[in-house]
Amino acid sequence: MNRGRLGKYALWQFRDFAVDRGVAILIVGFLWGYVLVAPFRGAGGGQLKLGPSSPVWPLLITVASSIVSVSVLIAVNGIVSLDRKNGYYRFLFSKPVSVVAYYVQLYFVHMVGVIAAMLVLSGVLRTMVPDFSIVNFLLYTALIFVTMGGIGFFISVATRFDWVTLAAVWLGSRALRELYGAKPGLPGKLVQVLPPVHKLDAVASGLITYGNAPTSDVLWLLGYGALFFALGLILLRQASLAD
Amino acid sequence: MADLPSTCEHHRASALVIEFRNVGKTYRSLLGNSVKAVEEFSLQVVEGEILGIAGPNGAGKSTLIAMMLGYLRPTKGTVEINGLPARTYIERNGIGYLSELIAINPKWRADTALVRYATLAGIPDAEIPWRVDELIEKLGIAEHRDKKVKALSKGNLQRLGLAQALLRDDQILVLDEPTHGLDPVWSQRFRGIVEELRRPDRTIIIASHNLDELQRLADRVAIIDHGRLQRVVSTGYEQNAPAVTRFRLTLAAGFDRIRESFPLAESAGRGEYDVTVRSIQELNAALSDLISRGALVASVVPERSVLEQQFREAVGESP
Repeated sequence: MNRGRLGKYALWQFRDFAVDRGVAILIVGFLWGYVLVAPFRGAGGGQLKLGPSSPVWPLLITVASSIVSVSVLIAVNGIVSLDRKNGYYRFLFSKPVSVVAYYVQLYFVHMVGVIAAMLVLSGVLRTMVPDFSIVNFLLYTALIFVTMGGIGFFISVATRFDWVTLAAVWLGSRALRELYGAKPGLPGKLVQVLPPVHKLDAVASGLITYGNAPTSDVLWLLGYGALFFALGLILLRQASLAD
Repeated sequence: MADLPSTCEHHRASALVIEFRNVGKTYRSLLGNSVKAVEEFSLQVVEGEILGIAGPNGAGKSTLIAMMLGYLRPTKGTVEINGLPARTYIERNGIGYLSELIAINPKWRADTALVRYATLAGIPDAEIPWRVDELIEKLGIAEHRDKKVKALSKGNLQRLGLAQALLRDDQILVLDEPTHGLDPVWSQRFRGIVEELRRPDRTIIIASHNLDELQRLADRVAIIDHGRLQRVVSTGYEQNAPAVTRFRLTLAAGFDRIRESFPLAESAGRGEYDVTVRSIQELNAALSDLISRGALVASVVPERSVLEQQFREAVGESP
């Protein structure tokens, strides 16, 4: 009896990603980028004379990193929970494939999809902002996918309300860290276990602009995401697929 | 009426394939409420057998099947397939499964859905097109193959679900309400398909509300109610077994001869008579006598099948 051909199935997973999420990511990215960049472009006569020393550069980095965050949110939303909610798991996993391997592959397919979408968007931006590094931007995208995507994956295994939960965790962590991060006592210690979103601004600025960022910050972000991805896989292995 | 034996000769002789061992499943809500969906369920299913699972709504059939596929973890006990935990077996070998709810992504096309499942099932690329074509033809969905899944009627969706279950030559098939949504013609054809699938090395499990269907297809039927196995019924008629006592006879000729062979026959009009016998031997002897007297018997139909009788008793309905 043949085992399932999960690797070959990656092409179908990528196609689903492109149709269901990739188009949405491109549209959101184009619109968001256009609305924020167009005024500066108009003032510059078609070309944005922007460089890292420009006062507008931080805004560009903020826009670019926000587009990455929203794209990852779109990419991991329902990555596991939709199959469970809609019952698609029933036929998929009656075939000889490992549930864990299936979703590990799907996670990486979505990562490739997000990076491909960011390649398109940054390619367009590069035509207007020659100093914008596509490679650095894609490195940042991969880092955020591991961090935010790992947390999102875990949430998608654990709950059906993953979009809302991930957005709440992401934004809530930022707010709580700003409120309590520097304070002594229990609240200050507790917020340390929240996602390290406070490190994102520095990492985004350094990585996208110069291609490097504080190693400890990068490792924190990668480790946090990887830990939650691993926890998601353990939960997927142990918990029931059906309700 | 005496219970029929819970195991048949074939069951005793064949290799064990699926085993439920003292399985229980309790659902607990966040508020602490609990519902026992399945309790102390033990059953063995052997190679070559077609086992039916019957029970009223909410009896625990779906929970049982979800545990057999490893989609639900039992709260208690184990479910093993060929000696392995159910999920482990399926991840290594696959299983042909038709679920009660046909959940296929509505955006997929009918034929490409089958290609996707065939890929996951490990069917080589070269074989996929003809295997998919063969099943599409066999299940009569050729004219719908280009349609999106969301555009299929309930019956066609059911047939597509059955097609994906039959993609591989699996040793185990689990069909949950397989004729749900099928018209009478396709329900009949489905029975033919299952008969074709019967093989000495294949085990088929069919969960259905349709007792007539189970009576025709299954070797044994497990009747469950309130999450418990009530009894296992052999669907075959056994010699000397007084399983069915009332039959409806339809005569085409020789109406006036009926009471000579069946003194207590009750007329139901239009040449139909209800007769009561104590055994199959008595029925055959009386029929033989009736025919020898010149009557022409058009049909003999049990008022209730063995299964229906047992089902009614098992779930507490009086006959």
